[in-house]
Amino acid sequence: MPSRRFLLTVSAAWLALGAGARAQSADPASAFVQATGNRLVGVVNGPGSTQQKRQALTAIIDQVVDVNGVARFCLGRFWRQASPAQQQRYLELFHQVLVVNITSKLGEYQGVRFTMGRAEPQGDDISVDSTVFRPNNPPTDVKWVIANPSGDPKIVDVVAEGTSLRLTQRSDYASYLSHNNDSIEALISAMHHQVEQDQASG
Amino acid sequence: MRVFFRTAPMWLTSLLMLGLAGCAKPPPASDPDALAYYKETNDPLEPFNRKMYAVNNALDSAVLKPVAQAYVFVLPEALRTGIHNILSNVHTPVQLSNDMLEGKPRRAGDTYMRFLINTTIGCLGFFDVAAKWGYPNHDADFGMTLANWGVHPGPYLYLPVLGPNDPRDFAGFGVDIAADPFTWVGQGAAVTALNWGRWAFTAVDARSRLLGDIDNIKKTALDPYATFRSLYRQHRQSQIEEMENDNRHTVPAWFQQPAPTH
Repeated sequence: MPSRRFLLTVSAAWLALGAGARAQSADPASAFVQATGNRLVGVVNGPGSTQQKRQALTAIIDQVVDVNGVARFCLGRFWRQASPAQQQRYLELFHQVLVVNITSKLGEYQGVRFTMGRAEPQGDDISVDSTVFRPNNPPTDVKWVIANPSGDPKIVDVVAEGTSLRLTQRSDYASYLSHNNDSIEALISAMHHQVEQDQASG
Repeated sequence: MRVFFRTAPMWLTSLLMLGLAGCAKPPPASDPDALAYYKETNDPLEPFNRKMYAVNNALDSAVLKPVAQAYVFVLPEALRTGIHNILSNVHTPVQLSNDMLEGKPRRAGDTYMRFLINTTIGCLGFFDVAAKWGYPNHDADFGMTLANWGVHPGPYLYLPVLGPNDPRDFAGFGVDIAADPFTWVGQGAAVTALNWGRWAFTAVDARSRLLGDIDNIKKTALDPYATFRSLYRQHRQSQIEEMENDNRHTVPAWFQQPAPTH
């Protein structure tokens, strides 16, 4: 009969192995978040007009965010009800709205910096913790949810102080739709209006 | 404060009357998607809540927001952080009792050490020395304690002045005021003024820390009311989860450690 000490050692080794494997698989995701964060902060803190910064941020967002996946998530059950033409227009508008929202959140700050936290699996994805420091604002805990960490990593969600960007966006759209007879056309024109208004205000 | 307590039942009743008058009808069972959405949002008082949201928005743009903007404009960041720390330090007795009621000894220990260190070395709480010494701050209130005891939040509630809420958190808010020693300590005009000053500063401090965020949400959301509702619930849920997952054991570091519990 194996001794208790032996059993303990074996189980400890298993635990250590498991933890090691987890840390390794989490690593590419952390590296990805670190690199993406550096690029974003570089643009936000760097020189250039708001317009130039917006262009640079758009390029980064297109590369690192699974925009279509997030868009589909945010439309929820209405995605299936939309016609292919509506889906196409919605995806285009969502992309523009996302860029506007992100740039309006980041654009006005100078001196943004962030520190990295730990990474842990979350279903098929990996979530990476970070703390973002903006001048004149309390530090914010931001969690990045990364799909496909070891292949082609993409951001699928950003969770700030426990609030998920995509969940919040989805409930915003769901509420708008429920107050507008579930009309996807109404949602699309509202999003269109949002983008136009933003372009008008510069 | 005492007047508020005496009139509280009256306020509550009138709120409820208003609420019942503005109850939303659930969608028919023939529309399962809409019905599922109605249950998910759990906001049967939505018409009333939206009215209160409009009232608060008017109050906010007339009073609280300009005051918070002036506060940020006049005081340097270091001073505002210090004031925030003092307010948070004054709140520690309530935090400590909730840590204990939640059965979280390590959190209670953190809160206790924070109070000792910050009140003395931290100059009555102005400097958060304790956080640098390994006793970080955390959230604890009676709404969270009730959640820990298995109480459900109930339907969404948007209250005048207080904003996003639910019956559980609103009850917790009342209990926390009653449990706060500073609600009861001392008498006379000076104490009353200090207490009111504390609440006023708490409101202005909280609002000033959200100036950019709230503006952004109002600008980017198609339905800001629903967005705030979602944000409030997610934020509370994450505070509660963080508390419930904090199972650091109480065995000293130099003693043999028990296996971690999951």
